[in-house]
Amino acid sequence: MSTVAADVLDHHDDHGPAKGIGRWLFATNHKDIGTMYLIFSLTMFFIGGAMAMVIRSELAIPGLQFVHPEFFNQMTTMHALIMVFGAVMPAFVGLANWMIPMMIGAPDMALPRMNNWSFWILPVAFGILLSTLFMPGGAPAGGWTMYPPLILQTGDAFPFLIFSVHLMGISSIMGSINVIVTIINMRAPDMTLLKMPMFVWTWLITAYLLIAVMPVLAGAVTMLLTDQFFGTSFFLAAGGGDPVMFQHIFWFFGHPEVYIMILPAFGVVSEIIPTFSRKKLFGHDSMVYAASCIAFLSFIVWAHHMFTVGMPLTGQLFFMFATMLIAVPTGVKIFNWVATMWRGSMTFETPMLFSLAFVFLFTIGGFSGLMLAAAPADIQYHDTYFVVAHFHYVLVPGSVFAIMAGAYYWLPKWTGHMYNENLGKLHFWLSTIFVNLTFFPMHFLGLAGMPRRIPDYSTQFTDFNTIASIGAIGFGLSQLIFVWVLVTAWKGARATDRVWEGSHGLEWTVPSPAPYHTFTTPPKARIANEAFE
Amino acid sequence: MDDTERKKGIRRTALIVTAIALAFYVGFIMIGVLRS
Repeated sequence: MSTVAADVLDHHDDHGPAKGIGRWLFATNHKDIGTMYLIFSLTMFFIGGAMAMVIRSELAIPGLQFVHPEFFNQMTTMHALIMVFGAVMPAFVGLANWMIPMMIGAPDMALPRMNNWSFWILPVAFGILLSTLFMPGGAPAGGWTMYPPLILQTGDAFPFLIFSVHLMGISSIMGSINVIVTIINMRAPDMTLLKMPMFVWTWLITAYLLIAVMPVLAGAVTMLLTDQFFGTSFFLAAGGGDPVMFQHIFWFFGHPEVYIMILPAFGVVSEIIPTFSRKKLFGHDSMVYAASCIAFLSFIVWAHHMFTVGMPLTGQLFFMFATMLIAVPTGVKIFNWVATMWRGSMTFETPMLFSLAFVFLFTIGGFSGLMLAAAPADIQYHDTYFVVAHFHYVLVPGSVFAIMAGAYYWLPKWTGHMYNENLGKLHFWLSTIFVNLTFFPMHFLGLAGMPRRIPDYSTQFTDFNTIASIGAIGFGLSQLIFVWVLVTAWKGARATDRVWEGSHGLEWTVPSPAPYHTFTTPPKARIANEAFE
Repeated sequence: MDDTERKKGIRRTALIVTAIALAFYVGFIMIGVLRS
């Protein structure tokens, strides 16, 4: 056992977690809150996934089989809202809660009570959102982008949608305030900013993005609310408003949101690849600058989502070239991951497999993004399944695979036991095969002209749709293996403190499972420095 | 950094980022007000 861990146990074995439900309701411990975030996110992943099953079942063959078109639209809208705000974002916040304090040698998050609020707002927000499925007129069906005037035709669900989006925003903002304050003020004495692990760095940048853009979304939906109920005309053309302005404001939030969902994924992968390559991360500082560069560029590319609404040629050119510029820092990251693996003593445990798949498949999503960035081409691709293929490649084998990689990587540290490696690998291979079976054919569907957000289609699109539906059902079922791995995680062999042979960092200096309180006294400089090496 | 200083730092950082968030919220609604 390390010196730090012994120190922790000597002084803090006198008070552990509270007993019963109170431990969770009034939780202020970052590990408890992290666990709740992760469980919540997994639950939402399955609810959103069930909606995806409805969508893919309906689209398996042409014609209307199972659901009404109105309900189909509700499913696409709710699937997106739940996956973005309920599954991917909370999963990364869960990982941040668990790992950031341990990685920087802090005893907890800086604002633990606010941390509790950040989490508990979320189940309320999604309870409200899901309750709209049972309301007259059904759930929102205007797409997750909530474009007016379409979204203003939502029935009784409309104010509940707006309220739940506000709550999600408040939760995210409070969470990101906590992350920033913790990282800026609570690092171990010798941990300068550039010594911070990449996961901490990417989360710091993500938190700043959240602080800047979640209020913009809140502002946009507040204006929708006042347009609907208080007689304003922000977006109503009949009253002198401008519906296109909503799109500008929404995408000023929406594009950085994409990076909010991918930057922490970069951080996770940047932790895992060096561990299983048994080398230091190649170009740590350049990775930091690349992530910062991506974050900056994310603010000046929003209108590439709107090439077809009509804009001056100079506007199209600016947004096209600014978007293409993002390929440069992203390329730096891909290069550095490959360079880290180069001549490393690589082994292929489950976290590494998910990380490798991330590098390959996220790059496919990146390339289709470049194709979409070209304004003249985008006018052809816009609102087709090519776009659906693109963003699912970025979000599923991108963000979701990174979350899976992180979960497998840190699970032994959380539970104190090794998970079942064979089941983990089975989960990986089935997920990888089915994710490609689901989303790769969508490129062809889009190029052939199949529009998105439709419950029925022309017969020439049948084959690829059937393949995609088979893939989706396979992918969904494969995730049950992950649940089984989690349920049986406490049955595996005892994990060592360091868990992985090649792992480095302060989190690996504490025992496995991590004690309820860690680093109540900051780690000694020597130990901290050894951990950074 | 002693405890009091750290607490001050936490409060200062929290206030700054909260102010940034509020500025974005109010700012974008003001854009809406000015354009409509």
